[in-house]
Order: sequence, then C-alpha cells, then structure tokens
Amino acid sequence: MRIMPRVTGGLGFIGSIAVTLFGLLILTFIIGRMMPVDPVLAIVGDEATQATYDRVYARLGLDQPLYVQFFRFVADIARGDFGVALLTGRPVIEDIARVFPATIELGTISIIIGAGLGIPLGVLAATNRNKFPDYFVRFFSLLAYSTPTFWFGLMGLLVFYAMLGWSGGTGRVEVFYTGLVDPITGFLLIDSVLVGEWDVFWSALRNIWLPASVLGLNSMAYISRMTRSFMIEQLGQEYIVTARIKGLSRGTVIWRHAFRNIRVQLVTIVALAYGGLLEGAVLIETVFSWPGFGGYLTSNLMIGDMNAVMACTLLVGVLFIALNILSDILYRVFDPRTRAQ
Amino acid sequence: MRNTLLAALVAATLSTTALPAWAATPDDQLVIGLSMANILTLDPAAIAGRESTAIITNVYDTPIQLDAVDVTQINPGLAESWDVSEDGTITLNFRDDAVFASGNPVTVEDAIWSWKRILELELVGSATWQAYGFTLDNFDEHVRADGNTISVTMPLEGDPQLILYIFGKPSASSVIDRQAALEHEVDGDLAAGWLTTNTAGSGPFTLRNWTANDTIILERFDDYWGGAPEMSRVLIRHMPESQTKRLMLERGDIDIGLALSVPDINALNANDDVVVQSVPSSGFYYLAVSMKDEKYQDQNVRLALRHLIDYQGINETIMPNYGILHQRPVTPGVMGSIDAPGYELDVELAEQYLAEAGYPDGFTTQLLAVNEPPFIDIATAIQGTLAQAGINAEIVTGTGNQVYGPMRERDFELIVGRGGGGQEPHPHSNMQSLVINPDNSDDAGLSGLIGWRTSFYNEELNDLAMQALVERDPEEQERLYEEVQYLYEDLVPAIQPISAVVDTVVFRSDIEGFQNHYGWTTRFDTVTKDR
Repeated sequence: MRIMPRVTGGLGFIGSIAVTLFGLLILTFIIGRMMPVDPVLAIVGDEATQATYDRVYARLGLDQPLYVQFFRFVADIARGDFGVALLTGRPVIEDIARVFPATIELGTISIIIGAGLGIPLGVLAATNRNKFPDYFVRFFSLLAYSTPTFWFGLMGLLVFYAMLGWSGGTGRVEVFYTGLVDPITGFLLIDSVLVGEWDVFWSALRNIWLPASVLGLNSMAYISRMTRSFMIEQLGQEYIVTARIKGLSRGTVIWRHAFRNIRVQLVTIVALAYGGLLEGAVLIETVFSWPGFGGYLTSNLMIGDMNAVMACTLLVGVLFIALNILSDILYRVFDPRTRAQ
Repeated sequence: MRNTLLAALVAATLSTTALPAWAATPDDQLVIGLSMANILTLDPAAIAGRESTAIITNVYDTPIQLDAVDVTQINPGLAESWDVSEDGTITLNFRDDAVFASGNPVTVEDAIWSWKRILELELVGSATWQAYGFTLDNFDEHVRADGNTISVTMPLEGDPQLILYIFGKPSASSVIDRQAALEHEVDGDLAAGWLTTNTAGSGPFTLRNWTANDTIILERFDDYWGGAPEMSRVLIRHMPESQTKRLMLERGDIDIGLALSVPDINALNANDDVVVQSVPSSGFYYLAVSMKDEKYQDQNVRLALRHLIDYQGINETIMPNYGILHQRPVTPGVMGSIDAPGYELDVELAEQYLAEAGYPDGFTTQLLAVNEPPFIDIATAIQGTLAQAGINAEIVTGTGNQVYGPMRERDFELIVGRGGGGQEPHPHSNMQSLVINPDNSDDAGLSGLIGWRTSFYNEELNDLAMQALVERDPEEQERLYEEVQYLYEDLVPAIQPISAVVDTVVFRSDIEGFQNHYGWTTRFDTVTKDR
C-alpha cells in the first residue's frame, strides 16, 4: 500500500519534466520562427533563382502552417527522430553525439579547475575577512569575473601558444593528429588512451588545458565569491562560537564544522556553473576553434535551422533537469535532515 | 562598448608583438585554416559559396579549367580539346585516361548525367544552365554524346565562349561518378542525400573525412589524370576567428589562412615568413536603391546619390584588402572593361539634383547592411555623406540572409551589398546579374538577379546587352559592351558599384604554386613546399 504514493509521486515528477520540456519546445519554436532568419537562403545562397528557393522551401516543410510544422516536429521527436541538420546534412542526433562530448570534456576539466581553486580561495577569503588574502581573492575574482572570456582566451593564446609554445593551439588536437582516433566514448582524452595513441593523448592534453583554464577562471571567480559569502554566514553562527570556546583547532572549526554546512549550497552553485559551462562556452569555442556544442548551437541559430536548434534546446533542458536531480541526490548525501524526510 | 575597447586593446597588443616562428606543418601536407560556417553541402550541384567551391574544385573535375592568372584563358580539364564551329556548336573532346576515385572510367555519359541531374533537382547550379536557355525538356536535344565527345548547341542565341567558361564552373559542370552515386540513391533522389556528405569525383584529391564546422581531410588521388599532387593530404580546419588564424600562420601551424580580417592582414604584411596574396575576385561592393520607392524613381535623386558617396575615401580607408575602386558594372580586366567615370563626392552638385527633384532639405530613408566589415563600415561612411545633403539614413543591420532576404522580396529602400557576377570572365556574367532585367513584374520572381530586385527596368539597356552577347565579331562585341556601360551611366540605374571585390589569402612563404582564383576555383594540386 505504501508503494502507491511513490508511484504517483514518480509519475508526477516525470509529468512535470515533460510539461517543462514541452513548454521549452513551444517557446523555442516561437522565438525561432519570429527571428528574421531564412534557412533557405543559407542553403541556396543569396543569388539563387526563385525556383530553387521554392523547392528547398518546400523540402524543409516551411510551406506548411506553423502549428503543423510544430506538431510534426514533436511527433518526430516522440519517435526519436530529430531530423537532419542543414549545416551538416547528417542526423541532428549524430551531430550532437559528436559535439557534446567535446564540450563535456572541456567543461568538466574547467569545472574541476574552477571548483578546485574557487572553493579553497573562497574559504581563505572568508576566514581572513578584511585582511590581505580576502582583498586579494576579492580583487582577483572580480577581475576574472568581469573580464570577457574571449579576451582571456586571445591573450592566453598569445602568451602560452604563440610566445611560450606551452599550448598546442586551437582545436581538440594539433592539426596533423586530426582523424587518427575514431570516437569510442567521444572524449578524446579517454579514447586516445583506449586505443593506445599516446601522441594524440598528449596533443589533446596540450590543446585542452588552456581553454579549460580560461573557462575555469570564470567559474572560479563565481564559485569563490559564493563560497566566501556562504562561509562568512556560517562563521558568524553560534555553533561556531561554541566550537571555538570548546577549544577546537582553527582547521577543525573551519573544515569540520563550518564548511560541512555549506556543502549543500556549494553543490547547487557548482552544478549551475557546470551547466552554464556546457551551454555557454560559445566565445571560447570560437576563439579556440573548439568543435563543441555551443558553437554548434550558435551556427544553427544563425542559419535558422530549427531542427538542430530545438534538439539542442531540449538537450540543454534535459541537462539542467539532470543537474538538478544530481544536486538533489547530493543534498541527501550531505544533509541528514533531507534523508529523514 | 567595454568589449569593443578590449578587443581594440587585444588587436593593438597583437600587432606590436613579435613572435618566434618556425614551420611545424609536415612537408607533404597542406594545412588550411578557414571558416567552414558556409560549407553546408559537398554536392557540386548545390554549392553556393566560395569555400565549398574550392573544395569541390579539388575533388571533382570539369571539362575545362579556368586559368587563375590570365582571366580570359581556359585550359584543358576532362576535355583535352574543344572546337567551336561556325554555327556556335561546341564540341568537347574528352580524354580517355581519366578515372574516378572508385576506379570507374570517366565517360561522357557520366558528364551528361551529372549536368542533367542539376536541372532535374533544380539545385543552385541550375540557374547557370537556365540562364542560357537549357531546360530539362530541351537538354537532350542540345547536349549530346557521340563516342568520346559531347556536342553542345545553344538553345538561345549567345556567345559560345561564355558557354565554354561555364564548362569550367564547378557548380554547373562538375562530373560525378554516376555508377558510384546511384548505388546510394534513395527514393529517386539522384543520390542528393548521399552526395551532400560524400563525394564521387575524379579530381586530384578525394574526400577522406568531413566533420562539419571542424575539419575536412582530402587525400591525394594517385591515379589522377593530371599526375598525382605533391601533397599527400590537405587538412582544412574550421577557424572562425581571424586572430586565431593569424597566430597559427605566424607559428607555422597552418600553411594557408583564408578570410582574415584586414587589421590582421595589414599586420602580416610586414612578416617575411608569410606571403599576402590579393587577387581581384568576382562581384562588386555596391549601393543599390529600390525603384519601388517613389523617391528613387526620380533620376535626379539617384544622381544625387551618385555624388554623395565618398568613393575615394571609402576605398582608401575601408577597402584595402577587401576591394579596389571601381564604378562600372563590368569586372576589371575582362572584355569591354573601360576607364572609370571618375565619380567623386560632390555635396553641392548633389544638393542641386535633390532640389530639382523636390527634396531641397533631403529626406529620411533606411539603409540595409550586413553586420560585418566592410559592409557596416561602407554603410556608415555613406550615412555620413548622405547627411551632408540632408538625407537622414537609418542603418539597419543583420546577418547576410536577414539583409538580402528583403532585397530578394523587393522590399527595401537602400542597401550596401556585394555581388554582381564575374565568376565567368565574360562581361555577360556581370550584365546578367546587374544590368539585364528581362521581366520587371513582381510575379516574374527573378530574385536571383540583383537588377530585378531593384525593380530597375530599361528595354534599350536590355536589348543592347543582349545584342552585345550575340555579336560574333570580337571588336564589335567589345564596342557594344562599352556602349552598354555608357548607356548605363546615362540612365543612372539603381545599382552603383563602389569597389570591385578583392580576395586576400595569406600563406607561409615556403608554399609554392598556390594561386587564389578569382572564380573561387582555387586548386591545391599545384601546391608544393620549398623546404
């Protein structure tokens, strides 16, 4: 008998996800169709004849009423068919399977750098409030947060690639290693190891550290500022005073008591920052010619290819929902109160 | 604003920094950096842009090759020779030693199938064939195979020389391996789906891999009839950002960079490790008006506009490496090309014309421009000079298709655009795009013709341009093309060329045999590395 509420709860949960995604699709479709972008011209060129134009127009189904186009699209999706991308002539789903791992690989390393540096820096700032380390961290994070990433990207290329030669340049690997490793997982750092192509692995590593650091710098700035304010709030609580009076060491007070209590909040902001990295790395992908998801979404938006744009939107929606679920799970791990409920 | 300032700072830093440089690309591979954003298909019949034309040129063969340096010269391709008879019949004599990458021999049947396929699918390349009167219905009658030759008769009166040029245009006359393609036909699509991402050609290279907006890898075709190219691979990498291309050129990590921004080209000019190659390309940068707009129907208003453009200023400050001063509708260097009329900015004269037209205080108008250089810069310059005569032009910017879309619908007032033919080195290529408007009705839907889009129509001009096309005496033909341009000048039509397009490519100085082509048909098989 206790199963029923769980089932209805689960169904309600899935239902709310479906409604969210459907709403997202309608919104994207309307915005996409309101944009004065003509996908036909992108295909046929601006000096094409009217006959050619009309033919492609009809082939794309644009001669149908909007609601027909929309429902056709949704029906196709329900069958698992996301259509063919104009940009590549290949199924959208194949394209995404190719570009998304490139972005996840970059985003994951970035978030490791961002959180790995941002959290300790935030704690350092909070525990040295209004002293030099605090000023330094605040200034540094403000600078990193407010400087456009493409600028850091270009400067990084200039210094670490062009002048010092520490980075491998643009793209996922150096040009002549292109195409040597066929995708297995899609993550080049993993695939190259799996097939034993160590040259490709080192080249991929040389190419990824710079864009990942530039992106990571931005999330580091955000995470350290948030960590700082969470920590300051905790450090002012009475239980901290109690812990200090008890004579516990500074390190124990900070890490065992205060920090443990901000883990839940940190999980949320790191998850959000990670989601942002995955969909928002467009400028860095452009500067570093990184064949990722952000660039794919933007190029398709520019030519008005709704098949690809809607599939990408859906993926971003699913991604954020997944990150939310993940942080919910981590809440339960970190916060005993949520487990009790 | 902050971003602009920072970008300027980056540019300034980059331009003053000397970089260590060493060649890093392999000796037998050519590495090219370009933006692949416009490469949407590899079907020769469907290509529309310069980047895809360059790829197709190296993977597929055409019967004739247009010479990259001497623009009026044509060279043998799949046809080892050709004849033009008295009555204008063209005979193409195909070579018998050409094979496709699949190993199948190249036959005249493959050629005819490939060309007819364009008309059947009504893809981009069909416009070229249709312009000279070829239709699906009359195709078999006019294009016939006989042994190893193809004879072509013209459905409309015209200049056979021009048809010969078309046989060097990849979008119109690439020869596809029919047998290989038809193995992948789906629902009678003549392999349109398969050929979008795969190739079946007989060119000097074969496609090994195309990953959209990432890489294209071409491999040497060892059995190429013209001899195997020296480069074993051509690696093309998607690089949308100009400064990235510049850094990689300086480091020697790419051999050739296409479409760099002018500040980057200017900076590279001083670098001995690279060569900056500028060649006149096809088309013009122009200012066009719509004759649907009442104001612009008045010739005096158009005359005023003619004198409200600072041609010299624009060409000296904005256009270096984009274009060179040119004010007439015929590509420089081709038959009939004549001296510039010497238009200059003359506000006083323009004001007189405006007063005569009944606009002594000017008027308000809208000026469309693509939101990238040099369009936006030309538009801003023109906005400034128009304002001197009281014309208040509001600039509306957008992406290419946002700007050309309304123009194709004939729904605009002013536009700064680029186009105007010239891929065939014949003045008719320009005439057809800019001058001739066969039917000025909206229903005609001739949106491929820039002339039609502006709603400018003059029967005398049409007739004279057609008369020039069919004239078979070369001297008289040249004279007629000159006459067309003088008449064009007198009529003050809706399109005013400002610059002739120039294409600039930067490559490492150890690259030899690379010649950027005016008609976008740049070949990679002639490239060697001198190391």
